[in-house]
Amino acid sequence: MSSSLPKIAKIMYRKSAPYLAHVQSRSNVGRAEDKVVLKDVSKNYLKSGSSGDATLAVKSLNIAIKKAEIVSILGPTGCGKSTAMNMIAGFELPSQGEVLLDGKPILAPGPDRAVVFQQASLFPWLTVFENVVLGVKCRGVSPDTYYNRAEHLLDAVKLKGFEKHYPYQLSGGMQQRVQIARALISEPEVLLMDEPFGALDSQTRLMMQELVLQLWVEYQPTIIFITHDVAEAIFVSDRILLMSSRPGKVKLAVSVDESKPRGQEFLTSAKFVELQASLLTALKQEVH
Amino acid sequence: MKRIPPILISSATIVAIFVVWFVVTNGGLVGPTYLPSPQALFWSFMRLLTNGYQRTPLWEHIGISLFRALCGFLLGVAVGIPTGLVTGYNRLADAAMSPVMAFIRPIPPIAFIPMVVLYFGLGEVGKIVLIFITSFNYAHVNAHAGAAHVPIAYIRAAKTLGLTPGQIFRKVVFPAALPHIFTGLKVAMALSWAVVVAAELVGAQKGLGFMISDAAQVFQIPVVFIGIALIGFIGLALNMVLSAAESSIVHWKGR
Ligand SMILES: Nc1ncnc2c1ncn2[C@@H]1O[C@H](COP(=O)(O)OP(=O)(O)OP(=O)(O)O)[C@@H](O)[C@H]1O
Ligand SMILES: [Mg+2]
Repeated sequence: MSSSLPKIAKIMYRKSAPYLAHVQSRSNVGRAEDKVVLKDVSKNYLKSGSSGDATLAVKSLNIAIKKAEIVSILGPTGCGKSTAMNMIAGFELPSQGEVLLDGKPILAPGPDRAVVFQQASLFPWLTVFENVVLGVKCRGVSPDTYYNRAEHLLDAVKLKGFEKHYPYQLSGGMQQRVQIARALISEPEVLLMDEPFGALDSQTRLMMQELVLQLWVEYQPTIIFITHDVAEAIFVSDRILLMSSRPGKVKLAVSVDESKPRGQEFLTSAKFVELQASLLTALKQEVH
Repeated sequence: MKRIPPILISSATIVAIFVVWFVVTNGGLVGPTYLPSPQALFWSFMRLLTNGYQRTPLWEHIGISLFRALCGFLLGVAVGIPTGLVTGYNRLADAAMSPVMAFIRPIPPIAFIPMVVLYFGLGEVGKIVLIFITSFNYAHVNAHAGAAHVPIAYIRAAKTLGLTPGQIFRKVVFPAALPHIFTGLKVAMALSWAVVVAAELVGAQKGLGFMISDAAQVFQIPVVFIGIALIGFIGLALNMVLSAAESSIVHWKGR
């Protein structure tokens, strides 16, 4: 690691000092019922090749997520949301600190943490059905089991009759529903979603958000949902973590006390509107 | 104005070429030793079909050239695709192979002819080895590029689905590399066909390359033209076969 890092880190730290009051205190991070924990996590992307600058994407990030909780990570572009998620998925390792699943460090990706990607990550050479069952099939789950699960999930995401279609024959919203089915078929304990509906129109988005809540009721996974859309964050989550601009850290944590699943009427409730106003104000301070 | 279908324009081009050809040759503008007339070529072709060339039937000349080209092509592809995929996927294999490949890649296949003749003689083996080198080269380079440029989202998705490295290689890297592999196959095929003709120009007793070089030496100009046309048509047909296979296998390409 570059020797100049501590200096950069110190400057960044001071810059973000005014927000420290809101940051979750370190002491309540990492209790036994927590499913996913980020403890004092920093991620420094080193420039490959020449001695260019490194990018400190997140700094001293402390997050604790309870089992079966839906947590949204909300923040301005480039603040390190994907970086945080990629460390939980195991795609990246933290430069400092610990990323824990059930108290054990996360070192690599695995089927216990399913991921729904923003961009098309379905395999175009496989049909919808083959995409959904690839993972369970490769891991040796019996065909009886995965056929039943696939059928049920494809029904739940309203893709009955599209089993033999290829991804390029589906709309963007349908492709994301296939991704959700592919993620849930292994009945993961953690579901990571990085701006899963970012490319969809607002009507389709709302349907997808309702779908996520319905599926949560059935499967009860811990969901980490990344978005930069305030309304989306409120609609789907139990808790919203607002991140500061880079290097990202949690600036504000807000709970949404509303039972799940939620319907469209929640969008116009006083609680929703009030939360939206305060989050938008807080977010605006981060986007200069 | 009505739209003119492209096929009509293409047909018009072909007709125009024949008309110009017919007029300049029959009008005496170009002598038959430089450019035979269409009807002269047709009769020469009929004679070739019935009598063959140099006591060898025409189909045998075609057959032997195709045999050499396809043997070398298939052997090269059979070695080039797996090694290309492995070196594209695995850093260590890449590090081991890349100095050799970086050296071999820019050498034009024809430059290997003297070496191949020295080691394998002027017979069948030498020709097939030469085409093997050509085909291996392009199959390897393209398979390598395909495996090295698999979108990271595919690899990450495969890992979160719990696939082992071997499964990722077989079920993700290989299919993801197929568009590149087919590009390699088409280039390898075209060059295998070109190199077989070049290899037959010297030291061969049969084959289309032999036929055109031998005919040129004895001023059988129509035979030279027919040979060249046959080489062109067969090359085109081989490419069409691969393109058809590509569009049915790599059905997702460009969508
Ligand atoms: N692989 C990488 N190598 C180098 N720098 C990176 C890498 N990935 C991200 N970064 C940098 O880290 C910072 C945070 O990136 P990240 O993708 O986590 O942001 P984000 O919050 O997800 O943004 P967005 O909302 O636009 O998706 C950015 O400045 C980005 O340029
Ligand atoms: Mg992102």
